[in-house]
Amino acid sequence: MENERIEEMLELLWTLKEAGQDSLEAALEKSEDEAPKEVFDALVSQDLATVRDGKVSLSSAAEKRAREIVRRCRLAETLLAQVLDLEDRDVRDTACKFEHVLSSRVTESICTFLGHPPVCPHGKPIPRGPCCLRAETQMRPLVSRLTDMDLGAEVSIVFIAPVQHETLDRLGGFGVVPGRTLRVHQKRPSFVIQVGETTVALDEEIAREIFVKNA
Amino acid sequence: MDAHSVQLLTDRESSRQPLSVLVGNPNVGKSVIFGLLTGRYVVVSNYPGTTVEVATGHATFGKEKNVLIDTPGVNTLVPMSEDEKVTRDILFNPRLRAVIQIADAKNLQRALVVTLQLAEMGLPVVLALNMHDEAKSRGVSIDAKGLSEFLGVEVVTTVATQKRGIEKLARAAASPGVPGFSVSYADSIERASEDIFALLPETLISKRYIALTVLSGDSSVLGQVAGLGAESRARIVGIANRLQSSYGEPVGYLINRRRISVIERALSQVMVKREGTSRGWAGRLGMLTMHGVWGLPFAAGIVWLMYQLVGRFGAGVLVDFFEGTLFGEYINTFLAQVVEKTVPWEFVRDLLVGHYGVVTMGLTYAIGIVLPIVATFFFAFGILEDSGYLPRLAIMSNRLFKSMGLSGKAILPIVLGLGCATMATLTARVMPTLKERIIVTLLLALAVPCSAQLGVIMGMLGGLSPVAALIWFAVILGVMFLAGALAARVIPGRSSDFLLEIPPLRVPQVGNLLAKTGARIEWYLREALWIFVLGTLVLFLLDRAGALGLIERAAAPVVVRLLSLPSEATEAFIVGFLRRDYGAAGLFMLARRGAMDPVQIVVSLVTITLFIPCFANLLMIIKERGVKVAAWMVVFIVPFSFLVGGVLNFVLRRLKVL
Ligand SMILES: Nc1nc2c(ncn2[C@@H]2O[C@H](COP(=O)(O)OP(=O)(O)O)[C@@H](O)[C@H]2O)c(=O)[nH]1
Ligand SMILES: [Zn+2]
Repeated sequence: MENERIEEMLELLWTLKEAGQDSLEAALEKSEDEAPKEVFDALVSQDLATVRDGKVSLSSAAEKRAREIVRRCRLAETLLAQVLDLEDRDVRDTACKFEHVLSSRVTESICTFLGHPPVCPHGKPIPRGPCCLRAETQMRPLVSRLTDMDLGAEVSIVFIAPVQHETLDRLGGFGVVPGRTLRVHQKRPSFVIQVGETTVALDEEIAREIFVKNA
Repeated sequence: MDAHSVQLLTDRESSRQPLSVLVGNPNVGKSVIFGLLTGRYVVVSNYPGTTVEVATGHATFGKEKNVLIDTPGVNTLVPMSEDEKVTRDILFNPRLRAVIQIADAKNLQRALVVTLQLAEMGLPVVLALNMHDEAKSRGVSIDAKGLSEFLGVEVVTTVATQKRGIEKLARAAASPGVPGFSVSYADSIERASEDIFALLPETLISKRYIALTVLSGDSSVLGQVAGLGAESRARIVGIANRLQSSYGEPVGYLINRRRISVIERALSQVMVKREGTSRGWAGRLGMLTMHGVWGLPFAAGIVWLMYQLVGRFGAGVLVDFFEGTLFGEYINTFLAQVVEKTVPWEFVRDLLVGHYGVVTMGLTYAIGIVLPIVATFFFAFGILEDSGYLPRLAIMSNRLFKSMGLSGKAILPIVLGLGCATMATLTARVMPTLKERIIVTLLLALAVPCSAQLGVIMGMLGGLSPVAALIWFAVILGVMFLAGALAARVIPGRSSDFLLEIPPLRVPQVGNLLAKTGARIEWYLREALWIFVLGTLVLFLLDRAGALGLIERAAAPVVVRLLSLPSEATEAFIVGFLRRDYGAAGLFMLARRGAMDPVQIVVSLVTITLFIPCFANLLMIIKERGVKVAAWMVVFIVPFSFLVGGVLNFVLRRLKVL
């Protein structure tokens, strides 16, 4: 069994579990593999997965490996979307190829370069790696929270961490979306930012979830 | 709204005319342009949420007469608010001939998001680049011709406040075009939308718009599609849900992001912004007024000015003239003489001009005392609104409101409540969640005195030591926070995040200001006048039947024992239910007669301020929030107000500070 097919299956099982699903049936149905059952049996024979009552659970080694695959995939997506400014359609396909070839060292440098992003361009959480844990205590990342920026700073939005859907939509309505440049007007008594010719006042709690880098 | 706007359209002539609509982001000058195109005056407002009502008129484009509708401002046609839903539904009208989109020229990106959606709907559009003057002074220049070519529709630059470009816009509106502007989205989104196409029957509005809207998470749009079976509907919703589950972010947001990035790229071809242009005095002042430190003296200054205008001029000079001179010396004396001569029955004479006379008491209070105060308040409020200052006040007060489960947005209904709690209860709609609307309604009913009442209260407190005024103010404010904090815990549901657009400061236009104040005064007269008359009638009849004495005796344990007030004060509480200011005025008379000592005055004022909302307000609460919520509020407020009064009475008598 080729490594790539095993990894794809591990990734699928992991993301399904992330979405709250653990039935074997769903996994076999969603898999893009030609013979998903075959791959799954291989997982079982390698002690990577077990089935009970139609529900799949991964062994801790498999869990770890799956996490790393997902991490590589989502980091690759973020890299393509943010740095190369690629369209969404290209991002998915390409990132899927990357995830099998990135070494752990390259993965770490990408993560560091991007400032250890917590979410991918589609808003899904990127599993943390050792570099992220180190960064939280030592390094000043490339990307910071809007609340940490100085007054008058011109910054561009890198991503907005998940807030209420409705808030995200309203921010979008004002043109506050990743990629745009904004200016921090004031922080007290409320946060006031300027995007283009629109001035918006917002709670500090929302501002904290907006991640930016210097423009 | 629907019933309302449709009614306006169903007169014979109009129902044969084609329909045009004005669409645009909030605050871009739609109302002003609507007034210019239709020649009809409408209420123009600076604040999102206050133009929920839809204005309709007639306008001529080319040679053709059209019905023109002014729609509430929108940032997207995937509705997220009630306003946006109203606008979207109007765009579904099959008689629609043209969409006139008004854009703020200096803020084109947000306008083009709407244009793009109009294009996806397949609607014929002309685009007005309004506020061209402001754009120019901010160093934004736009290649209108290039933009017109890019969009494939006619583009006209206008300055609504100087009536520039309006005729050209009217001519262009005769031949609108469907924008040839489209965006392709991520593969997965495009694929899902094709799957939805296949399930849709023939529709009036383009299938692409419907598909994208459903994928954006608004499946209510499917209700507008005639002939869609339940099964197809379920499958369409299934497609949308499946797509959403493959993304962590809302699909609607991803679509919006894509739109904005395409538009930004397009704009860089037709728009130039000169850097380093100064923001002008209005811009600098605008920043100062929301500053954490400098904003405070501004706020204090504005409260002081409001007080001068409403408290001194309205409640002082104008009331002296209306009540003292006009009614006191002329109308009432004259009518008394006329009635004396012409009406032989004493009962009717008393009813009209007696102690509880409809004219001598009811109309004198309503028009002589309350109207001048309310009118000056509405004028002052109009200035705050049109200048764009209110949202800045929201920034300053956000933290305070947070502790009451609200956000700074609540400043609009609360400040308006100082004018008229009934009208303010109606505007509680600007609060995004139900929980917040209930809290605002409660605070308005409980602790926010309306301007007429406030005027009378100020008058009474003015005669006492400043300590008295301070005690009254501190108790009311304390109660407001206490009740708010309590309500925030007790009432289920969630509060919204504070997220508010701050419009630039502008000098209000006198015409608009007067029209708006006039409309509000008219509203007040329509809503309140009959209640004054009714209230006087009730008092008159109670008095005649000898029931007034009975009620006073029945209320004595509370009014006389608990609050230590003279028993006539009960009268004030009875009429206080009809009109709060009316009740305060009753106390005013008592105090003037020397029937109350300082402690009694303060206790009675605190109690009547907190006491149940007036009749009109109660009706409005029932209408807006339902009988159940209204009943709960009354059950809470009545005992609570007397309890606070009682405690205050006890404390003040022990402390002997007054
Ligand atoms: N400087 C300038 N101000 C304008 C122009 N058009 C409208 N305004 C002002 O912009 C504010 C908002 O206008 P309004 O018609 O209420 O906007 P609406 O919310 O879109 O209906 C008002 O204070 C207007 O006086 C314009 O062309 N130039
Ligand atoms: Zn990292």
